[in-house]
Order: sequence, then C-alpha cells, then structure tokens
Amino acid sequence: MIHTLGIRHHGPGSARNVKEFLEATRPDIVLVEGPPEADAILQWSNNTELQPPVAILLYQVDNLHHSVFYPFAAFSPEWQAIQYAYEHNVPVRFMDMPMTHTFALRNIDKDKPEEPSFRADPVSWLARADGYSDTDKWWEKMFEQRTSNEQVFEAVSEAIHAVRELAPPDKDPNEPLREAWMRKIIRQAQKEMYTEIAVICGAWHVPALTTMPSQKEDNDLLKGLPKVKVECTWIPWTYERLSFHSGYGAGIESPGWYDHLWEFPQDDGTRWMAKVAQLFRSKDMDTSVAHIIEAVRLAQSLAALRELPRAGLEELNEATLSVLCNGESVLMQLIHDQLIVGNKIGSVPFDIPKPPLQSDIERLQKKLRLPATADWKDYILDLRKENDLERSIFLHRLQLLQLPWAEKTDISGKGTFKEQWRLQWDPAFIIEIIDKGVYGNTVETAANAYVKHLATSAASLKVLCELLENALPAELPHAVETLIRQVSNQSAATGDVIQLMEVIPPLVTISRYGNVRKTDAALVSGIATGMITRICISLPGVCTGIAEEAAQTLLQLFLQMNNAVNMLQEPDITTQWQQTLHVIAAANNTSPVIAGYSTRLLADHKLFTSEQLVQAFYSAMSAAVLPGTAAAWLEGFLKGSGTLLLIDPDLWRVVNNWVHQLQEEVFIQVLPLLRRTFASFTAAERRKLGEKVKQGDSGTQTSQTEYDIAEERGARGIPVIMQLLGYNNNI
Amino acid sequence: MSQVLRGHAEQLYAQELEELKKQDGSKLPANWKLSPQSVVTYLVGGKLKNGFEVSPKYIGNRRLMEIAVATLTTDRALLLYGLPGTAKSWVSEHLAAAISGDSTMIIQGTAGTSEESIRYGWNYARLLAEGPSANAVVETPVMRAMKEGKIVRIEELTRIGADVQDTLITILSEKMLPIPELNTEVQAVRGFNVIATANNRDKGVNDLSSALKRRFNTVILPVPDSIDEEIDIVRRRVESFEKIMEIPAEAPALGEIRRIVTIMRELRNGMTTDGKTKLKVPSGTLSTAEAISVVNSGLAMAGYFGDGRLTAEDMAAGIIGAVIKDPVQDKIVWMEYLETVVKTREDWKDIYRACRNMM
Repeated sequence: MIHTLGIRHHGPGSARNVKEFLEATRPDIVLVEGPPEADAILQWSNNTELQPPVAILLYQVDNLHHSVFYPFAAFSPEWQAIQYAYEHNVPVRFMDMPMTHTFALRNIDKDKPEEPSFRADPVSWLARADGYSDTDKWWEKMFEQRTSNEQVFEAVSEAIHAVRELAPPDKDPNEPLREAWMRKIIRQAQKEMYTEIAVICGAWHVPALTTMPSQKEDNDLLKGLPKVKVECTWIPWTYERLSFHSGYGAGIESPGWYDHLWEFPQDDGTRWMAKVAQLFRSKDMDTSVAHIIEAVRLAQSLAALRELPRAGLEELNEATLSVLCNGESVLMQLIHDQLIVGNKIGSVPFDIPKPPLQSDIERLQKKLRLPATADWKDYILDLRKENDLERSIFLHRLQLLQLPWAEKTDISGKGTFKEQWRLQWDPAFIIEIIDKGVYGNTVETAANAYVKHLATSAASLKVLCELLENALPAELPHAVETLIRQVSNQSAATGDVIQLMEVIPPLVTISRYGNVRKTDAALVSGIATGMITRICISLPGVCTGIAEEAAQTLLQLFLQMNNAVNMLQEPDITTQWQQTLHVIAAANNTSPVIAGYSTRLLADHKLFTSEQLVQAFYSAMSAAVLPGTAAAWLEGFLKGSGTLLLIDPDLWRVVNNWVHQLQEEVFIQVLPLLRRTFASFTAAERRKLGEKVKQGDSGTQTSQTEYDIAEERGARGIPVIMQLLGYNNNI
Repeated sequence: MSQVLRGHAEQLYAQELEELKKQDGSKLPANWKLSPQSVVTYLVGGKLKNGFEVSPKYIGNRRLMEIAVATLTTDRALLLYGLPGTAKSWVSEHLAAAISGDSTMIIQGTAGTSEESIRYGWNYARLLAEGPSANAVVETPVMRAMKEGKIVRIEELTRIGADVQDTLITILSEKMLPIPELNTEVQAVRGFNVIATANNRDKGVNDLSSALKRRFNTVILPVPDSIDEEIDIVRRRVESFEKIMEIPAEAPALGEIRRIVTIMRELRNGMTTDGKTKLKVPSGTLSTAEAISVVNSGLAMAGYFGDGRLTAEDMAAGIIGAVIKDPVQDKIVWMEYLETVVKTREDWKDIYRACRNMM
C-alpha cells in the first residue's frame, strides 16, 4: 500500500500531520522528496550534533555556479519524516530526480534561468475560488492551522487532482522527468518487497504519483539523461536564510512564527504576545500585562471580524502594532527580526565536507601560490607582473568579503604598482565563508554580489566612496557600476554639501586619469559633473553665517573643488563653478574668509578686470567694515599665495597700491590684520616680499636678490669643511 | 437642493446605510446600527448581495479599517493618527455615522478646550435659581453619547492641554462620569466609545499623556500606497467639489490630475516614480488633501478667470504654494526638482515654463 502525503514544504501543520500519520500507519519505508545523492549523508541526521535549521548543499564540482540548498527546520515535514524513520529503524530515501541530471540538463539548456522555474502557483486557483487573494493564507487556514488531521491528506490530494486536471501543461520540461523519477523510486521500493510505503512530497506531485503510467513509459523518458559530477554536504542554516528562495522553491516568510506554531500548536495568541512583551521589556520598553490582554483581545476580535477560527500572525501583528506600538511600525521591525524570522542557527558535526566558496578559495590559493598558514607571512606584490596582479585582485576581493585573512600594509617608495600584504589564516574564517556563500559560490561572484548588497544598504556617501575605492582594485565591474549609481543617488538626496565636496576630488581624479586598472572613467565623470552642479546650487547658502573654524575647513574644500574643476576641463562645469563663485563673492553675508578666497579664485580665472578687482578689494577692506571681518577677507584673498603675490603683477599691484594709499593712523589700525595674514607665509616668502616693497615697484620687474655674504670670512672655513667631508687637505 | 453647505455623513449616505441595514445578516454588537462587517463594507465600498453598490469612503488598506472597527467592538477607544490630510476626520465621521447612525457627537480639540466642555458644564442662571440640580447640568457630547450608547468623536486630541486630556481617563477606563456636586454619576450605555484623531506632524502641540495612550488603540492612516490609488482619491474628491461649488470649468482631464499627484508623490517620497532618481524632500507634508486643493483652486482659476480649461498656468501657483513652505530650503528643493526632473520630461514643458515664470 502506498500512502502519498501531499505537504507544503516547511509547513508546521503539515509536519504535525505527517508525524501523526506515520505513527499511526507505521510504514516499513519512507520516501521523501529530495535529491537521491544525499542519501549517503542522510545517516548524519540522527547525529546529535546535527541540529536544525540545517541544509543539504549540492553543487556541481566543476561548475560552482550550479548549486542548490535543501534547508530543513524542525517544523519541516521532510525533517519529521526522516526523524521518524531513524527513530523507528525504517529505511528512508530521497526520491527526486538526481541533481547530477538536473545540473547536466541545465548545462545543455543554457538559456533557462538558474533557478528551477516554479509552476505558477497552482494553489492560487483554489484560493481564488474560495475568495482569498493570498494563497498562503488560504493554505494556512485550510491545512496548516487545522487542529485535527483527519483525512487532511485525502483532501489535499483531491483538491490538487482537480487543479491539475484544469491546469495548462507545465512549461518546464524537467517536471515530467522529475515525476517519472519519483515513480521509478516508488516502483523500486515495491520491487524490494516493502508493503507499507509512505511518500512525502510537495502537494503538487500527489496526483502524478497516485496514478501510475506504465513502467516502460517512464523508463523511456529517463533514458540517456546527461550526467555531471555532484557533491553534497550538510551545512548549518539559519532562520533568516530560510526566508530566502532556494532549493525547495519558495522561502518562507516567518520561520520564527512557524517554530512557535510547531512548539505550541494550541496557543491562542497569548503565549506569542507574552513573547513579544518579553522582547520589548528586554529592550527597556514598558509593557504591562494589561497591554498583552488588550492585544490578545483585539487580535481575537479581528479574527472574528474576518471570520477566522483563530488569530493568525497577521491579526497578532496588527494588534501589536495598534496596542503596544501606538501605531508606529518602527518597533515591528524588531519583532520581525527577532520573533517572526528569528535568529536561530543550526549546527553540523565537524567532520562534514565543505561548501563551494571555500573550495574556490582553496583552489585560488593553490593556483596563486598563497598558502593558508597559521603563522603570518609578508608578500610584496609588483602589479606589473601578471601573477602578482592576480594575487592582488584575489586579496582585495577577500577583503571586500570581510575575510580578514590578508591585511594591506603601507609600503615605502613611490609608484602605484607596489603593494604589501600580510597573510595569516584562522580556521574560524569558515563561518565567514559560509555566510558569504549565499552571495555566490566563487570569490568573484560572491564579492560582486556582496558589494552590491552593501552598496544598496550603505547609509552615507563616505561609506560608498570607501567601498568604491576598495572595489576598484578588486576588479568587480558589476559592483562598481552599482556603487557608482548609488553614489549618484545618494548625492542627489544628501543636503550636506560639505560631504559632496569631500567626495568630488577622488572622483575627479579617477575620471581624469582613469585607473591603473582601466575603470570606465566616463561613468565616474558623469556623476562627478552632476554632483558639481548640485554643489553649485547649494553652496552659496552654505557659505553664509558659519563659524570661523567651519569656514576654514570649507576653505580647504574650496581649494580642492577648484583644483578638481580645473582638472576636469569641461567648459560647462567651469562656467557653472565660476558663476557660483561670483554669487558667493558678491553676497553680503558670505563668511568673509570664503568671500575673499572666492574673489581671488575669480581673479585667478581672469574673470575680473583689474578695475573690478580693485573695486572689490577696496570695498572689502574699507574702513566701515569691522576689522575682524576685513582681516578674515584678506586672509582668504591671500590664502597660501605668498609666492603668487610675488609673481602675479596684478595681484601685487592691488595689494601694494592699497597699502600705499592708507593714511598712517589707518595703517597702524590695520597692521595687526595684515600681520595675521602675512604671518602664515614662509619666512623666505616674507623676505622676498619685503625686498620687493623696498624696490618700490609696481611689480612688473623681476626682483633681484642680494645676499649679504662676507666672502673672505667664509673662505677661511672651507678647508675645515673639506676635511670633514674626507677630502685631502692639500687640494 | 438642500440649503445646507455640507450635510452630515448619515444624511448624505442615508440610502447606503439603509441598504446595508437591510442586507445585514451578521450579529450586531449592542446599540450598533450595523454589524462590524457591514461597517467595514460601508467604509471601503463594495457590492451588496442585492446588487446595490456601496461607494468607497476610504480608499486604501482594508485591513486598517478592520482594525479600527475591531477596536470599537472591544471596549478600547480608537485613536486615528497620521499626517495632515490623510482622511482621519473623514474616517471618524463615517465610522460614527455607520456605527451609531449619528456623527454629530463631536468635540473639536483646541488649546482652549476646558474640562467643562469634555465632562459637563453648568447653566449658571439655573444653578443660582435652583441650586445644583440635574436640570442645571449642561451636557457635553461625551455625556450624551454615554447616556445614549453612541460614538463620540474628539478631533485633534493632541491640541487639548495635557491636564484636560486626562479627564478622559476615567471615562475610558471606568466607563462612567461622576458628578460629585449632585452625588450621582453617568454610566456609559453599551455602544459608547470614543474615536479621537491626532496629527503627528504639527509642531508645538501637546503630547498624548502616557496614561491616555494606554487606553487607546492606535491606527496610523498612511499616505496612499500607489499612485493610482492617490489619483483615484483626488479624482473622486474633486468631482464632488465641482458639484457643490458649481464651477463653470470643464472636468479636469485625468492627465492633469496624474501630473499633480506625480509631483506631490515624487517630492514626498524623495524619489521619482521610475525609482531612478533620488530627490530632496521639502518640509511640507504634500498630502493627498493638498493635491486635491491644488486641483480645486486650479479649477476655480480656470473657471472664473480662464477659458474654462484647466491648464498648467492655472495650477502652477497652487503647486508652488503647496511645495514651498519654507522660503529658503524648500525653494532649493523645488528648483532642483524643476531643473532635474520636470525639465527633462518631454510632455511636461508647459508645467516647467509655467512654474519658471512664477518663480
């Protein structure tokens, strides 16, 4: 007798039904939907160190892009079936089509998507017929939350039969093969003289397994399937990852809630709300018993209003939101992370085979001759050599994956082609590797995907730009593209002009000179120009009414911005920048240091006639202006330009003439201000400036230098110095 | 046609309420006019068994209305919370109309709302003539609702001073209102409950006291989920406005409404609808209600001063007024939006020009 139990993967109600059914019927063999390759490692499942949630990982040995996870939680019907079999010493087998064929078929049919294509949710027809818009909810109400399981499997079977009769033929060519394979294994079991066979499979397959076509038909279908080499292993899994899509198809949204349903099937919401309260209290939020009472009552009246037999997760969540959180959904995230999804992590015994990302790392370590050692070792890489460049890329990628194996250290000497790394391996990295394994099975794909993930969740421009800087040497074009897009998005949303200005210079450098590693410079320059436009719009506002220290930092940024704009050499941008400078220089309430500096920059751009420059200078330095303001303006105007003052005749003339025309008492008054500015020049510059003034010239002539050297006295010292330097006395 | 400028919900929708009552098969809570299921149907609209079409009053998530109604079936009070213009008062009026058949029990919360206007006051002439007696008591909507088992609405709860808010505590938890002067009390009849509304954007209003917070279930009414939902709301409300005001303008094309709603949504969400460009967010709320008023004032402009067709010029002033609430910050936001988004859209040239001319 064959008992076919249609279940929903990871359904706690299904799990309970399966368990009760098996205990009642006592089959002599259990067949479970899953890859037969894993039969060999099924023996681990009664090892006490193997604690769910765990997953079986299968991957194609020579092509790690092909891999699949079959996760199990305590509330998975498959897991319960396997557990039953081991407890009662009954043989248990997986009965899906072997992955060795599935992967091979995927190789042949490259156009098909990586994930197996899902049938378009057959149960949804049943749900819609019953007036439900959400299939999962319907299934939960009809089959999972039922407390008595009498004839539930017959009901599932009949319902799916009805759907499959009406359903259009499946487009996935693998589906008939899989079902033929399932039947093949059932026949095999019959042939081995098992009489009570329990088959646990997804509800959809039930009709195909209860009405058997002729054996020959199936064998013809399965003849000559291609094969590849596949390996499998157990790996620890987490509830969080149970909510991802993989292996058994759809992930589940609420593993924590299912765990609760599995542990406490009779709970009417009270225990769940108590858990919520405990969580809130552990986060120092006052939650009284009265709250819980009210929340449970609201959940129950909501269930009554919706004509549900009892409050489900949605009703409980809505009650929590309304009663405990005062309608604010912020705290619901906490409940979602801690309770609904949960943070449970499984464990596997130590002596179990490895995941693909680790295999890839080990392969690269071997290929690049970078052995993993417990002691640290230094490597100096010359990026002009191919092997070293590959090593560097590999190490950069691992860094991005947050594997702290290699640490980049500073190296002396000029040139960008040298890097120094210190390598030290720690066995605990395996956790990190498994963790990053969900992002991809090779170092390259994982790094790409992980950086993309970081990029989309990064909060600040600074973080993004750091990532961008690190991603460039790791040669991750896809990730870099995402990063650049993110940078451009974030820069649009930020109101912090200073942050934008900080980011501009490195971006411009990348776009101007490209990179040693040939990144797409056009992309970068596109966002850089966009950002400069934004800066130009908001900058005048930022320059008003700021403290002196802030003004000084801003001044530095101005300098860098100006260099960046000059470096870009895009006429549009340059004009825009110059217009902004005009606005800043002309605005009355701009911070004086900055106004002065902007005026100078404009003069440097030759946008002021000497008339205008003189006018601007005099008006800023006029007597009516507060001395402190005037001093700051002058400081900005002459910023870092002692030498410039020496060689730029126009600038020189303006300053010089202004000092000349000052009356003595006014001069004495402004002297401290002048001193403050000139004190920042180097001693040599000051001396030269003094000499220039002494010549009393408008500054068109080149200045002569004179040194007051007593040659005779100097000559007398020379022999001693020669001796000290080791020259022969006689010379 | 009625001379009243705006009728009560239970008068405007009397027919719908009547039909719902006729078709109501489920159990009624004490003193409710409709069953909870029917109240939800009344709010979100739907077709009755006899084919009668109930118009939707609240366009949005049905579940929120279910929570609101379920709350009122328990003895907890309901607090509708949300940004200005998210239909809080509208929902509370219709809830009261559907549940008690009477949406007139209302207290408008202001900074000047006193305890007397929540509990009871005295008719001083009577008080002096007869001394304290039941006849000298001036009943408030709260007291009447308690006696008659109806829903009382308190608008803008957080504008009422915290000490006055706290007079509600006894009413909400003990369901009674003592009158110590007469040594009596008023006990709430079944069916009594309180719906309060409060605004979470207003600055300078009082906080809800935590003692009171615990006695309310809170439902936050969100801004509309999808652009189509929002367009639907704006269209329905603008149509009803046209009818009432008898404006000579042509009905606005759906396209115009779509543009207004798109601008409002994009700025509110800080993201263009295609999700490609991020935007700065202005300080105003840019609620659906504001989109409605922009279209309405545009219609009035077009009807009385233009050729009766709603054009970009008619709406530009309204849009700018809605977006720029802070003359410095919002102006930057608006200019950036105008230059980076509006300008690039081919068929938006008229709006761009109209707005540029206004700035």
